Amino acid sequence: MIIQILLTLGLVVLIPYAYAQRATSRLIPVAMTTIGVVGLYFVWLPDHANDLAHLVGVGRGADLVLYCWILISLIVALNLHIVARSNLRLITELARYIALSEPRTPCGMSPRHPAGRTFDAGAPPGER
Amino acid sequence: MSRIVDPGAVFVVIAAYDEEPVIGQVIADAKGRFPNVVVVDDGSNDATPELALAAGAVVLRHPVNLGQGAALQTGIVYALRQGAEVIGTLDADGQHSAADLQRMGEALMESGADVALGSRFLGRAEGLPFARRVVLKLAVVLTRWMTGLRLTDVHNGLRVFTASAARRIRITQNRMAHASEILDEIAHQGLRHIEVPVSIRYTEYSLAKGQRISDAIRVIGEMLIGKIAR
Repeated sequence: MIIQILLTLGLVVLIPYAYAQRATSRLIPVAMTTIGVVGLYFVWLPDHANDLAHLVGVGRGADLVLYCWILISLIVALNLHIVARSNLRLITELARYIALSEPRTPCGMSPRHPAGRTFDAGAPPGER
Repeated sequence: MSRIVDPGAVFVVIAAYDEEPVIGQVIADAKGRFPNVVVVDDGSNDATPELALAAGAVVLRHPVNLGQGAALQTGIVYALRQGAEVIGTLDADGQHSAADLQRMGEALMESGADVALGSRFLGRAEGLPFARRVVLKLAVVLTRWMTGLRLTDVHNGLRVFTASAARRIRITQNRMAHASEILDEIAHQGLRHIEVPVSIRYTEYSLAKGQRISDAIRVIGEMLIGKIAR
């Protein structure tokens, strides 16, 4: 009973966390929410996990949960990669802004138009 | 449909990272044919930006190393803000010729297309190692499968864009996957494109600087993750 409550708390927290990730990716929040709901179901109805395991050709419900856990770990790793990628994109925009603000021209030559613009990190990349 | 472009509105963008031994010669070659050469120094640790400036290029400097794709996008944004009508790109390692870029620009103007892509397999690839030839051919097949584009060479840094095409293609892949991303954008946006035969001269230096075969796997991974992420 205690472990069921702990797992329930963890899985209930997962669902709003998944919702908060919707700005990062479309796929990841859907996968995380599905995992949370299915997890809650099997925490409270463990016999159904055995039935499902037999249905998909796995011996025990515990093995099925282990395999699912491996899958969840891969999804989390993918999510972290996407977050890192998003941060890199912001760094890139900042580096680009700095580069465009300070063009170095050969002696006697100047840019036709000023290159600098206001940097808005919240704006979509195409509008920066 | 043939178009005429003011030579002053043609910009050449070169992404450079630690290219001290060759950057001067590459810019001299480009400046011999194009008045506007923009070098985006991608956080070099050597004298690349100083040598590029001395050779007559406008130099933009990334404070940190981000990759060739990011550097090209910075150079393209700069060129567009300067009023470029045509933008060409070539590699900084000396394996490309500005004469090829000029022929590509002329072919683009004559054809009325949006993008001209260089092809070493329609032209010449001097000193191309067998293993790299195999990887490049596999990339051709993979690109055809992913984008539907029937090209003979898909990772060639010699490209020429009209300004409108350059505005529509936004490079978000910082590193080598940008080459695939550009083709993906061309296919997705239905941009008219031509292939032009070019010569690529592989040297010991350019081979050492160039992509490794393992990079091909990373490129595929980055493209797939790029499609999952927004």
